Amino acid sequence: MMAGMKSGIKSSIIFGLILSLGLTLSGGMQVKAADDKKADKKATNEKTVTLRISNWEEYLDEGDWDEEDTIDLESGDIIGENSMVEDFEDWYYETYGIHVKVEYSTYGTNEDLYNMLTLGDTYDLICPSEYMIMKLMKEGRLEPLSDHFFDTSDPENYYINGVSPYIKSVYDNSKVDGESWSKYAAGYMWGLTGIVYNPEEVTREEASSWKILDDPKYKSQITIKDNVRDSYFAALGALKSDLLTSDAFKNDPNYHDNLEKEMNDASPETIAEVQEYLQDVKKNAFSFESDSGKADMITGKVVANLQWSGDGVYTLDQADEDDFPLEFAVPEEATNIYFDGWVMLKSGVHDDAAKQQAAEAFINFTSRPDNVIRNMNYVGYTSVIAGGNDPRIFEYADWCYGAEDDETDVTPYDLSYFFSGEGTEGEYVIHAPTDQVDRQLFAQYPDQDAISRSSIMLNFDDTQNQEINQMWISVRCYDVRDIPILVWGLAGTGVLLLAGLMIRKKVRQRGNL
Amino acid sequence: MHRRTFSRKTLGIPYAIFLLLFVAMPLLVLVYYAFTNGQGEFTVMNLVGFFTNPNTLGTLFYSFGVAIVTTVVCLLLAYPTAYILAISKWKSKTVILLLFVMPMWINFSLRITALKEILTFIEGNLAYHPFLNTVIGMTYDFLPFMILPIYTTISRLDGSLLEAARDLGAGEMQAFLRVTLPLSVPGIISGVSMVFLPAMTNYVVLDMLYNSTYIMGSLIGSYFSAYNWHGGSMIALVLLAIICLFTLLGGGQEDENARGGSLL
Repeated sequence: MMAGMKSGIKSSIIFGLILSLGLTLSGGMQVKAADDKKADKKATNEKTVTLRISNWEEYLDEGDWDEEDTIDLESGDIIGENSMVEDFEDWYYETYGIHVKVEYSTYGTNEDLYNMLTLGDTYDLICPSEYMIMKLMKEGRLEPLSDHFFDTSDPENYYINGVSPYIKSVYDNSKVDGESWSKYAAGYMWGLTGIVYNPEEVTREEASSWKILDDPKYKSQITIKDNVRDSYFAALGALKSDLLTSDAFKNDPNYHDNLEKEMNDASPETIAEVQEYLQDVKKNAFSFESDSGKADMITGKVVANLQWSGDGVYTLDQADEDDFPLEFAVPEEATNIYFDGWVMLKSGVHDDAAKQQAAEAFINFTSRPDNVIRNMNYVGYTSVIAGGNDPRIFEYADWCYGAEDDETDVTPYDLSYFFSGEGTEGEYVIHAPTDQVDRQLFAQYPDQDAISRSSIMLNFDDTQNQEINQMWISVRCYDVRDIPILVWGLAGTGVLLLAGLMIRKKVRQRGNL
Repeated sequence: MHRRTFSRKTLGIPYAIFLLLFVAMPLLVLVYYAFTNGQGEFTVMNLVGFFTNPNTLGTLFYSFGVAIVTTVVCLLLAYPTAYILAISKWKSKTVILLLFVMPMWINFSLRITALKEILTFIEGNLAYHPFLNTVIGMTYDFLPFMILPIYTTISRLDGSLLEAARDLGAGEMQAFLRVTLPLSVPGIISGVSMVFLPAMTNYVVLDMLYNSTYIMGSLIGSYFSAYNWHGGSMIALVLLAIICLFTLLGGGQEDENARGGSLL
């Protein structure tokens, strides 16, 4: 009986360990089935399409806005009453006469998503970042978007009719194995990496270089992303700073191709240099953070913070509520431009036309200008949709950042690169309060200058990935060779002491018997 | 006709199924991944890798460091507290005990966030003392797990043993060292195992208190986000083996003490 109980205790310890392993694995994967509100709708014999969507956490409007949150644009008010998912289900039935049931779940990182797919989870529509899209494309897991999706004559095709010409050209021109991204992916949100900083402590010039990360002047006052890709990119920017900012490099006709090559450099020598650099950064930084950086910036624990522009907007907004003005800068060397996009998984929608249609309709529904504004307002990131002939998205940008009529210190801020395209008229210039040019407006819609030095960080191949990940682990781990002799001595004495005690006890017991 | 009999054993079936599904199966999967490579072939390279990679060894060392220091600090704080509470005749001692246990009922991340603010207020910048902060955070988090078992063991001690010791001429100190302390060893052991093992893997505390160095839990996580399930599984498995070893050692101690107690 006793033995049984004891093995029970042991098993429960083992079980606990496995449980904690499982938790690590799932990494905050949570399934949030959409409300069953529709369930009580009249049960019809019509077939209901089930659409399984997985998206980033906090990346789609959940509705329930207060009256005062209403966005009152010239073209009408916009407010999120129900969640986007519910609105989609209703809209789809009204438009196509088919019931759709969305099973909506979220994930925390691209790697979590990929691991879930490997474990056999099936989704129809997911929203990974560009490098993960490239990886999935390469592995042949994605279903191409239908021809109808790109048909500009269908008024319900909000995506193709509204996508920013700039984003469209990126999606068209970026290729994996000769196929452009646009064949499989439709953009959702995008942004740049940059530095959020406190202008009272850090100058804009300092924040405009990746070299700030290991600047001893700001020892223990800067946070960096706890993620290998962003840290790698920043380290490359700092290490190659002289080259990247040189006139010869900048004026080269192949500047953009060269930049992309430099910022995707994964040669063993470079990886070794990056490791050394990041080890310095680790000693110099306040922390590697995955979420806490925003709060630490707002509460003033740190003076600068490597950040994605979307989260930058959020940080600046929050700090403004405390009358604590922060600014956003994009380093002069280069910036990582990222795109999260919708892709359909073969394992989900293949050979299922109804599902495919619903999935594409979901992309279109979230690309409808009023929904774009709801999502942008809720999430803080910048949508890839410019609106096409619909002026509301530009109006929204102006509503957010344009100067009041009585303001005197106003700077024109040109966003034509993003908004103007074929068939759109007018000029896209926001007359913003001058400080906004360094703040939210700049983080939400970076200017042409910042865009020109942006580089996509491609998906590394498996060997490179392994080397870079190993480098990252080495940066983060305590090196066994760093253990001070004193500790070795202490540990040795401790072990000897313990062993001595046990032997003594055993000997005594023998004696007693 | 064969009549189905309902015995007490039948009640154990759900437990057996549970064990099979949630203990045995995952363990098998873990072992499978630990001893295969990306192509699904058998390999011991993961095991070799564990003991030749300075990162895993360094992390093992660091985790041990955190766990040992946390456990010692917890023990030093918990034993006197538990002892005083257990032997005191105060009517309100359950209330005091409750005060020590109560933090456990408050959400863990909330507690650590609060602690973070307090430590920031005291230290100014948390990044200067990552190890110290980690130990403080873990101690704050795990202290009740150390106090409770020790308190229970001491308060259950047979008072007549102490009387006997005094009658035989033992002083206050001697009675404590020769009677109370040895008899409270089972409580200490269960307290230590409840603190030591989680302290080796609880990386959330490190994350929240800005310690950028990996411990075992975060190292395993990093292997999985690098798609290296095999290396990650091996680390988990070796950790499991180490923990089993400790439990066996601890269990052996408990047995001896149980025998010692009955002999007395």
